[in-house]
Amino acid sequence: MAEPSVDTNVVRAEVEEFRKDIATLRAEIGKAIIGQQEVVDGVISCLLGGGHALLEGVPGLGKTMLVRSLAEALSLNFSRIQFTPDLMPADILGTTVIDENVSGGKSFEFRKGPIFANIVLADEVNRATPKTQSALLEAMQEHRVTVGKRTHTLEEPFVVLATQNPLEMEGTYPLPEAQLDRFFFKLHVPFPNREDLHKILDLTTGGEAVRPTPVLDRERIVKMQKLVREVPIARHVQDYAIRLLQATHPDGPDTPDLGKRFVRFGSSPRGAQSVLLASKIRALFEGRFAASVDDVRAVAHAALRHRILLNFEGEAEGVKTDQVIDAILKNLPEGKVAEAGNGKGSKVGPS
Amino acid sequence: MNESTRNTNAELRRIERLARHAEGRLRFSRALDIGTKALCVALVCAVVVLVLRKTGHLTEGKTRFLLLAAGIATLLAAVVAYARRLPARAGAVALDRFHNLHDRLSSAISFGQLPKAERTSFMDAAIEDAVAVSATVSPRKAVAIGVPTTIGAALFLAMAVVSVALFEVRRHEYIAAAKTIDAVDVTQDDIDAMKDFLKDLEAKENSEETKAAIQEFNQLIDDLANKRLDRTEAFRRMQELEERLVASKDADRKALDDALQRLGEELKKAELTKPAGEALKDKNLAKAHQELHDLAKKLREDKGKIDKAKLEQMKEALKKASQDHANRMAQLQQKRDQLQQDILKQKQKMGDSGSDEEKSLLRKKEQELERLDRDIKDQEKVGRQLDRLDRELSQAAEDMMKDLGLTAQDLDDSAEDLNRMAKDEMTQEEKEQLRQRLRELREMLRQQGQGGKGQMSRLRKFQGKANGGKQGQGGQPGQGQGQEGQEGQEGQGQEGQGQQGQGQQGQGQGQGQGQGQGQGQGQGGGKGESWVLGPNGEKIMVISKGQGQGQGQGQGGQGGGEPGKGAGVGHNPNVKGGGTNPKMGTQDTQVQGQDTGQGPSRSQVIQGAAERGFTGRGYRKVYTEYKNVAEEALNKDDLPGGYRFYVRRYFQLIRPREGQDTK
Repeated sequence: MAEPSVDTNVVRAEVEEFRKDIATLRAEIGKAIIGQQEVVDGVISCLLGGGHALLEGVPGLGKTMLVRSLAEALSLNFSRIQFTPDLMPADILGTTVIDENVSGGKSFEFRKGPIFANIVLADEVNRATPKTQSALLEAMQEHRVTVGKRTHTLEEPFVVLATQNPLEMEGTYPLPEAQLDRFFFKLHVPFPNREDLHKILDLTTGGEAVRPTPVLDRERIVKMQKLVREVPIARHVQDYAIRLLQATHPDGPDTPDLGKRFVRFGSSPRGAQSVLLASKIRALFEGRFAASVDDVRAVAHAALRHRILLNFEGEAEGVKTDQVIDAILKNLPEGKVAEAGNGKGSKVGPS
Repeated sequence: MNESTRNTNAELRRIERLARHAEGRLRFSRALDIGTKALCVALVCAVVVLVLRKTGHLTEGKTRFLLLAAGIATLLAAVVAYARRLPARAGAVALDRFHNLHDRLSSAISFGQLPKAERTSFMDAAIEDAVAVSATVSPRKAVAIGVPTTIGAALFLAMAVVSVALFEVRRHEYIAAAKTIDAVDVTQDDIDAMKDFLKDLEAKENSEETKAAIQEFNQLIDDLANKRLDRTEAFRRMQELEERLVASKDADRKALDDALQRLGEELKKAELTKPAGEALKDKNLAKAHQELHDLAKKLREDKGKIDKAKLEQMKEALKKASQDHANRMAQLQQKRDQLQQDILKQKQKMGDSGSDEEKSLLRKKEQELERLDRDIKDQEKVGRQLDRLDRELSQAAEDMMKDLGLTAQDLDDSAEDLNRMAKDEMTQEEKEQLRQRLRELREMLRQQGQGGKGQMSRLRKFQGKANGGKQGQGGQPGQGQGQEGQEGQEGQGQEGQGQQGQGQQGQGQGQGQGQGQGQGQGQGGGKGESWVLGPNGEKIMVISKGQGQGQGQGQGGQGGGEPGKGAGVGHNPNVKGGGTNPKMGTQDTQVQGQDTGQGPSRSQVIQGAAERGFTGRGYRKVYTEYKNVAEEALNKDDLPGGYRFYVRRYFQLIRPREGQDTK
């Protein structure tokens, strides 16, 4: 066997360090959040991928607590915005005010809004008006805010963690497709199982709750974000991700019947970007140096579910986008790799 | 290139070899799978082809070609399946899948194909990682070549092919069969009877027309004998022949007879022509012919000696005789004309209306007119036949005034005319006989058709017996013997005169086998009549000897032979008299009927009554006598046609057979 080169040793060390940091972070978050491992990993993936997460779950499942714990464990600026119908964009972005100095002179001064933080919790984001929701668009995509004639760059890392309640839809404003597409992941927060509930109750009804302590600073996170992007992806894995993306469209070559019937629009290319980045992060989580088809399949739901728009019939039938993605994954087994050159799928080996 | 890089490349090539190995197995597995599927299709085709071959829709050559094509197609499908390229890195992906390597090998191969400069440290690390895990990779395990899923179907279809191949289809080859008919069954005895009759008829002097009819009748009998005719055809032929016989009848015989009788009446009035007239009156045309010839000779030879008054009387008689028919025709015509006028007048008088009585009277008159028309027509036919005779008789009367020689010549001519009519009459009789036979044959066939096979069987049995057992079957004579023996015993009981004889039966004839020994108690002077069941179930009297010659008490089942040829031998010493001499030939037997007081009875001495069948000179004589009496009765009495048939049939069945009357 060939001896590892110097470069590869460095890479191995970085990957190993990455894994350790992630483990530490998970452990720290775990002090406040019981269970919800997938959600935690999803949120961390969003953070490392430079994206934003939309957390959806019924009230009381610890969505806000999770975000708060993450912020505490990372030693980053954290701000929380409670979205309400009367919330205005300026309430989020900030506003210019007239400042009177001691000499009596007056000047305009920009007062930064809560968006100027590393981690922004947009709680119940669907309760604000579309106008206010749109105020997040530029910040989320460009990581900067333009107020008046001045553009303010947001400090990295910048991650918006929005939550929404799927039950109380009355008086809410569903997020527009353009805004949904800007979320890296949409994570479902499941109801904890009995074991986790025991632990939650023990933790929250006993003595003083233990709060997470910062374990990763901003620089380390940025460095980890860069490392993620260095993870290579083989052509056939990337091709699988592309076919997965195409299959979300009703007229895609590998689209299942369910998608053909109930999907109005499939995912944008941002979906594939999210899938590949998330696959890389997952490979690093497991100490691998390249993403695999398994990684792609594992992150497909979180990365694509909010990017698939159902048609009227799909809505009427109560079809979930997760069902469509399940059908796509079933239609594109792991062993189904592309024919050389033409992209046509062909199943090989045991699946 | 440093050593590390070379080592990495070498390891990459090893991974690629592993991947190719896996890919090869994948292709082989695919070829096996597709080949089996193709085999299934080929086997289905083979089944179809074999079925078509078995049912004769395909030739042997085409069958072989199609089967070969199916085999080649299967092989070709498998080869193509193996040769077709798989997606890139399919082997590596299969290895990754099986060993749960998260695409380490396939990714490493992908990265290894990039130029070194383009490879990142991560890629190198990924390759090294793949190299590290590749040591445990096994293409054989990763791509197991299993049994194709369709192998079961292929085996089933293969069995089906073998079954179809082994199944032998029975071909229904249509053999051109001659059209058979349900031929009319006529016994040989009846055929013989008909042939005998026709032979007798042919021996007579016949007209050409009668000869043709006889020939046609002969042909009909031959066809019946050779079973060439079914019932419909047989009846059609008989009908055709009878119609021809009826059509060829020249004139109404009765009308002619009446006319000749009236002619005779007139001739009787003269002394010279009286013998001829009487002969005519008696319908004895031959005699009349002779008498007229004699008269002509007398006129020639005794010209001057004959009394003139007699000649005058004769002239008047001849004249009236010659005019009789013309007068009768004139009377008939006058009567007819009168009747026709009456009918016309009555119709005019009645108009459209009229009472029922008047209408009935009119109908009667019309019927009378029709009858007269028929009479006139008959007379016209008779007139055509009598015309020449009338003319000659008239000429004779005229010539008497001139020269008796001419008169004699005229009378000679008249005699020849009568001779011709006599011959004609004979021909008519023969035709009538033919018609009679035809009617009998038709009735016989009709009744046999109604009686079915049972009746035919009984008829054959009876005829066999009548022929002396020639046509009998082996076991049947045994029964007959038993009956005879029993009757013999009865006879003894009644008469009390029986002598007991013991005889040993001779070797059975014909189909009989075995030698039986029996004891018969004959009847000395008892009734030698026995009754057998005729073809229609009626009893028929059979005259038999009635002596103790039967073998009735023999071992019935085994003694199935013919009756012995002769009487038994030996003698019971307790009985007076000598034993029966088998060589004594025929024996006279007195046959007496029982006097019941209910009708006439007669006795007859029969010389050498038949031992078997209806044979013997004595029998023939008695038969002929009885038959003649019966025929007379039939002709005299008014009997329904069906009854006449039964009587005639009876006599036909018991007739003496040819070739046996010498015994």
